[in-house]
Formats: sequence, structure tokens, C-alpha cells
Amino acid sequence: MSARDPNAVKTTIRSFILSSIAVADLDDDANLFESGIVNSLFAVQLMTFIEKTFAIEMGMDDLDIENFKSLNATTGFVLRRNGGPGG
Amino acid sequence: MWQPLTDWHQTKYREFTAFVARTVAPCAEQWDRDQRIPDAVIAELAQCGYLGATLPREYGGQGWDVVTFGLLNDAFGRGSSALTGVLTVQAMVSMALLKWGTAEQKRTWLPPLAKGEVIGAFALTEPGAGSAMHSLVTEVTEHDGGLVLNGSKRWISCGQFAGVFLVFGTLGQRAVACVVPREAPGVRVTPICDLMGFRAAGLAELHFKDVAVPAANLVGKAGFALSHVAPVGLHYGRISTACSALGLLRGCFEESVAYAAVRKIADQTVGDLGMVRSLIAHMGTDLEAGTLLCHNACRAEDGHLPEAFEQTLMAKYFTSRAAVRAASDAVQIRGASGCHGSSPVSRYYRDAKIMEIIEGTTQVHEDILGKMFVARAGKVGTPTRSA
Repeated sequence: MSARDPNAVKTTIRSFILSSIAVADLDDDANLFESGIVNSLFAVQLMTFIEKTFAIEMGMDDLDIENFKSLNATTGFVLRRNGGPGG
Repeated sequence: MWQPLTDWHQTKYREFTAFVARTVAPCAEQWDRDQRIPDAVIAELAQCGYLGATLPREYGGQGWDVVTFGLLNDAFGRGSSALTGVLTVQAMVSMALLKWGTAEQKRTWLPPLAKGEVIGAFALTEPGAGSAMHSLVTEVTEHDGGLVLNGSKRWISCGQFAGVFLVFGTLGQRAVACVVPREAPGVRVTPICDLMGFRAAGLAELHFKDVAVPAANLVGKAGFALSHVAPVGLHYGRISTACSALGLLRGCFEESVAYAAVRKIADQTVGDLGMVRSLIAHMGTDLEAGTLLCHNACRAEDGHLPEAFEQTLMAKYFTSRAAVRAASDAVQIRGASGCHGSSPVSRYYRDAKIMEIIEGTTQVHEDILGKMFVARAGKVGTPTRSA
């Protein structure tokens, strides 16, 4: 899977999020952290998944809720970090 | 011994168990009575590199994988839960800084932590905020370009002798974490004595009164202390505690089978009694199951897999509860002699209960794991688009 293909990146992240939360489907812009659908470890699990899957090392500078608040936001973050069309 | 292990892992485990047999086991009862671990013992841990086990070599650490770190904690947990607590807390502070620290913070703090020149303490729990992390009231304010802390922390392992604290508080409405050196003016440390178990782990209350630190001591960004910084530290704390409880369970099993094999009751041994065999069967099976859970959790962390968090929760949940059962049964098998300090099982009994409370109580683990399992089984609708 190319880490620069927006559709492939979004599909991969969607699959991970859906495996972790209590909903059957996910709106691309639904706010993950305000809807009460994630557990207390979800933030670090998502971080670890992104690092492992897309070979991204996250650090303090990446700590911005705008990077992870939704499926679309997370997809955009991955594409920007990998120099794809979202960047 | 965990299986399957590489030759290198087996060699390291033999090294750790030999260290514990020589330096820890013969003294653990005395440390428990004194409620103190001698400085020379901490220095020996540092000399062996055990306090920097998980930190990369570039910072002076050993760069060991997490399986090796787990084996270290397993071996030490067999000897002394309190001493293992030093390994636990050092890893919690070190790994949170490694993940979220600035380059300057890493350069400043990781080498002395790796070499054991400085002991860290993870200052999260407060008198009114234990399991409810979001109830923190320690206040961090901005003043003259720096930060000022006011508040108190309680039940802080290694707080009595730590040289640096990773302190969690709130800056306005946002949770923050910052590094506070022990010598900062306004820091006061009050030892907590006479605990039921973990008596030599140096627990303390920390008081911060107008403690000023540079803004550069903030770890991670404001607002992410409880969602990202604390979970990394607590994750390593749970790995360490899970394996430490496994070591304690191993101790209960080994002490029990050794006693059951030789202790005579009339013309038979204690081990000939079916009721005792039943207790030992439970203990031995829990030991095997706990070993597999710990090994899986450590391997998942080595693979940097997101499921490592869940597997670590399960390992810690299982081994801490199994350790409590095993310690109770180990005392029961020994009878009166198990209630006396001449046998380590009386200390195991007291220490085991602490394992069920630190780095998240059994009930916190059940809540998180139960929510995860239910979430997977039942999907309950689709969240609406945010405004």
C-alpha cells in the first residue's frame, strides 16, 4: 500500500479506527475525541498504528489535535508527512 | 523461563537471576523491615546498566528490547517487588521523555537517567486524583516566561530518593507534564512509611509551593499530558509491573513446591495432600499463563504494534491478580511459618496486593478491557459529522 495514495491511506486508517471503536461506520469528518466513542488508550494506539504502518516517527511537534481529530484529519497528516498530495 | 527465547535472552535471564540471588534475595527482608533500599544497591543496579535498560545506546542506555526488559523485571520481582519498583519508575519517566521530550530535554535528562546517576519519579497521583487522572488539581501557571507549580502529589514511588520528577498538572484547562528537579526551591518531600507492602520502594508525598521551572521543561504540548505523555509512561509501568508480579508468582510457586516436597506431616509430605496439590496446580498453571501473556505483551511492544497496549493491560491484570492468589496460597501451604519474616512468602503476601493497585487498579483494567471487548462485539451506530 502506497503511503502517498490518499484513498489507500484513508481506507487503512478507517479500518484500524473501526476495529478500535464502538461504531459500525465512520463519517470522514466525525470528531473522534468529542463523540465519546474511543477509549482512554485510543490516542496512543492510533499514534502507534500510524508510526508502524506508515513509517512515521511522531514527536512533540506533531501533537496537534488538528492532526488526529477525524479520519480526514489523520489521513491528511499522514499524506503531509510522507510528501503526498495532502502536503 | 519464558519460551521461546533466543540464546542471548537466556544468557541475560541467567545474568539477572544470578544478580538477584547474590544481591537482592538475601537482603530483601531487611530492606522491607528498614523500609529503605541502601544507596549502594541502587548504585549497583546503575553499574550493571539495569536502570537504563530500555533507553537507546545513543543516550547511554543498554538499548535492550522489551522482552529483555520483561525478563529483568521478572527476575527482580522474584527477589524484591520494592527494588523492582525502581526499575519500573525509571522506565516510566525515561520512556515518556524519550517519546515526547524535546531534543534539549533528551540531551539533558536521558544520559543521567540511563546511567542511574539520577533516579526519576512519575508524579501523577494526587490526594484527590488516583484512578481519576482527569481530576488533577496541581496548578501550573505561566509567569515571566517560565512555569510555576503549586500542588501536592501522593503515593509517588521512589519519591524519597528521586532526583527528578515528571510532574503532571493543569495549565488553565489543559493537562501538562513538566520536569521538576528535586532541588528546585519550593519542592518538599515527605516520606510515606508503614505501608502494608512495597515498604522499601521509597514512597513519598511531594509538595510544590511556587516552584519555578523554565518553560523549556514542559514535556509534550499543553493539552496532551494525559492523552499521550502519561499513557506512554504508564504503559512501560504496566509492562514492568506485570513482569514483576510474574516474578513474585514464580517465587510463590518455587517456595511452595520446595516446602511441599520436604515438610512432613506424620508419614507423608505436605505435597502428598490432595488439597495442597490443588493449590499448587492452580499456582503452576497461572505461572504458565502469566508467562505467555507477559511474553506476548513484550513482543508486541518490540514490534511497535498498537495491540501492545491491550496485551499489556491483560498481562498486568492477570499476573497481579494471580500473584495475590498465589501469595495467599503460599502462606496457607506453609502454615504458621508462612506468616513469619523468616520466609519470603509473608512479604510476597503483602507486596502482591500492591501489584493489583499500582499503574492502574484491577478495576481500572477491567473497565478499559471490558469497554474494548464490548466495542468490538457490538457496533452501536454512526457518529454524526461534527459542527
